Amino acid sequence: MLNRLLAAPLMLCAFRPLFLLAAGAAVLGMAAWLGFLLLGWPLPGVPGGPVVWHAHELLFGFTFAAIAGFVLTAVPEFVDGPAAPRPAVLALVLLWLGGRVAWSASGVIGPWPAAVLNVAPVLVVIALVAPLLWRDPARRHLSILWALLAWLAVTAGFYTDVLRGEPPMRSLHAAIGVVMVLVVIVMSRISMRVVNSALDTLGETAVSYLARPPRRHLAVACIVLFTLADVLAPGAPVAGWLALAAAAALFNLQGDWHLGRVLLRRWVLMLYAVYVAMALGYALIGVAVLTDLGSVSGGRHLLAIGALGLSIFVVMNIAGRIHTGRELDTRRWIPIAAGVLLLAAVARAAWSWWPADGTLLWLAGGGWGLAFGAFIAHYLPLYWRPRPDGGLGCEGVMDSD
Amino acid sequence: MIGILRQWLAGLPAYLWGGWGAIASLLLLLAGWEFASQWLDPLALPDPRTVLATLHGLLTDGNAWSELGITGRRALTGFALSLGIGSALGMLAGLSMTASMMARPWVTVLVGTPPIGWLVLAMLWFGASDGTPVFTVFVACFPPIFIGAMQGVRTLDGQLREMAQAFALPPLQRLFDLYLPHVLSYLFPAWITALGVSWKVVVMAELLATADGVGAALAVTRSQLDTAGTLAWIVAVVGALLAVEYLLLEPVKREVERWRTLA
Repeated sequence: MLNRLLAAPLMLCAFRPLFLLAAGAAVLGMAAWLGFLLLGWPLPGVPGGPVVWHAHELLFGFTFAAIAGFVLTAVPEFVDGPAAPRPAVLALVLLWLGGRVAWSASGVIGPWPAAVLNVAPVLVVIALVAPLLWRDPARRHLSILWALLAWLAVTAGFYTDVLRGEPPMRSLHAAIGVVMVLVVIVMSRISMRVVNSALDTLGETAVSYLARPPRRHLAVACIVLFTLADVLAPGAPVAGWLALAAAAALFNLQGDWHLGRVLLRRWVLMLYAVYVAMALGYALIGVAVLTDLGSVSGGRHLLAIGALGLSIFVVMNIAGRIHTGRELDTRRWIPIAAGVLLLAAVARAAWSWWPADGTLLWLAGGGWGLAFGAFIAHYLPLYWRPRPDGGLGCEGVMDSD
Repeated sequence: MIGILRQWLAGLPAYLWGGWGAIASLLLLLAGWEFASQWLDPLALPDPRTVLATLHGLLTDGNAWSELGITGRRALTGFALSLGIGSALGMLAGLSMTASMMARPWVTVLVGTPPIGWLVLAMLWFGASDGTPVFTVFVACFPPIFIGAMQGVRTLDGQLREMAQAFALPPLQRLFDLYLPHVLSYLFPAWITALGVSWKVVVMAELLATADGVGAALAVTRSQLDTAGTLAWIVAVVGALLAVEYLLLEPVKREVERWRTLA
């Protein structure tokens, strides 16, 4: 039974089960939240209340599954190492599922099981990729390890607050910051390939794209400083200035991408939109902290939907497809879904100003659900079957490598 | 000419977009200021928003513009005099080895004399008129421009000069294509340094010698122990300098120095 499960096509590579679970958690988590806000459905009673349940599930549930799926697939490719063994991936999946159940049941069974089952999968991922990142002779991708350790810290920090009976929201806010850093790091790797291959397709040889490290480091430093200030002194003016600095640094980062019409190619434009949403999110937070304009919650949701949601959607569509042995999907549903996600981000940010307007919430939650629902519909058949090229693991499209 | 203009305009959006990096680092500075102000007495260091609000008040009631205008006029007059005379004399000195050797100690004397010393002399000579700040600015800006011009001429490539002679280049072409680009690449950084000096020195001169201008306004805020007002004036002066440097001089400097990256 176990051997048959491990031999199933769904377990060929870590991203297959994890991306599906991530998209499933995105759809179900958002459906439950919309039902609670608009239809009065009950949510599981958890420490901190409904908002904490919502943020916890979309960060430690959805986001973590996507991050785990990505790093377990990409890191072996980056450093030319072995893929994660299937039993470990299966254990990770079971721990993650246990974490979902334990968190929603934590109002009844107490927070300890949820703490163990949500921290353990992070440890598993780190144990699987840390040796690969460390052994890489040039250690070029060590920043991914630091980001994973930061993720471990915010997960542990969250449950420390919960177990001590303190409000745990600050760790969830910090988790958004950690993902933003990870997105900047990962996108610098992905964009080099995506933008330059788009330039090749256009036949533009005069310019080439380079993700410049100084710009990236400035943006990462600003995001880290803001995240620390936001945890230590939420709402303080220092955090406001740092949020504005992060926004400006992210606009600065976009300068790398201004290479003419290549920006309008679909994969390039979608990745670029992630930075735009990220910059606007931090700008909105900064303005809200320093003046009575803007909205902190609106800004956080631009980050969470527009930057985090869209980047995960795009990365799942790139890494989650080429590692099944197929070329990138050229159909129209992907840019449409990305546009719907951006619309959802704008609608949710706007809801901060017009909280009485339920339509905005339907748009936001519905757009989110549609995008990730479409992902499941398109990818479940792919992940359920073996690779068309006879590949037996995570490798990319065989003939191009 | 139109080609150069078009090229310059095409590069402008990217240049302006690059300003985001500078804005980010300035915002980090404001965050540091805000952090420090939390630990210090507001009289010692008010927080940036109070200062910006004070500056906004000064700008909306019109006071700041007239004072900045007066200060700007004095700084730019002194700077322009220095630019003209310093560049011309520096280039002349650069033409002859003897003149360069002789001029060096003079420049050392000029650099070594503290601006405050010149200011006292200027007050004795010009009284409370515009002449005092203008002269002080002129003297303070002169040495870097003079040295820049002199070195620009001294470091001209002798072989290139010989080649221009061998090919019998017309004198105008020799000036514009050979001498000026090289000398300008030395002069421009010197001018920018001098511009920064001019703003700092003019405010100091006004503080001690005149009844109007930003320096005089600073003297008033100092006597009233108005730290927020003082910082607001400082922010105004630094902001004006940043705007002139990054919006005007830096783009021109890039254009002038473009040949270096091409060469």
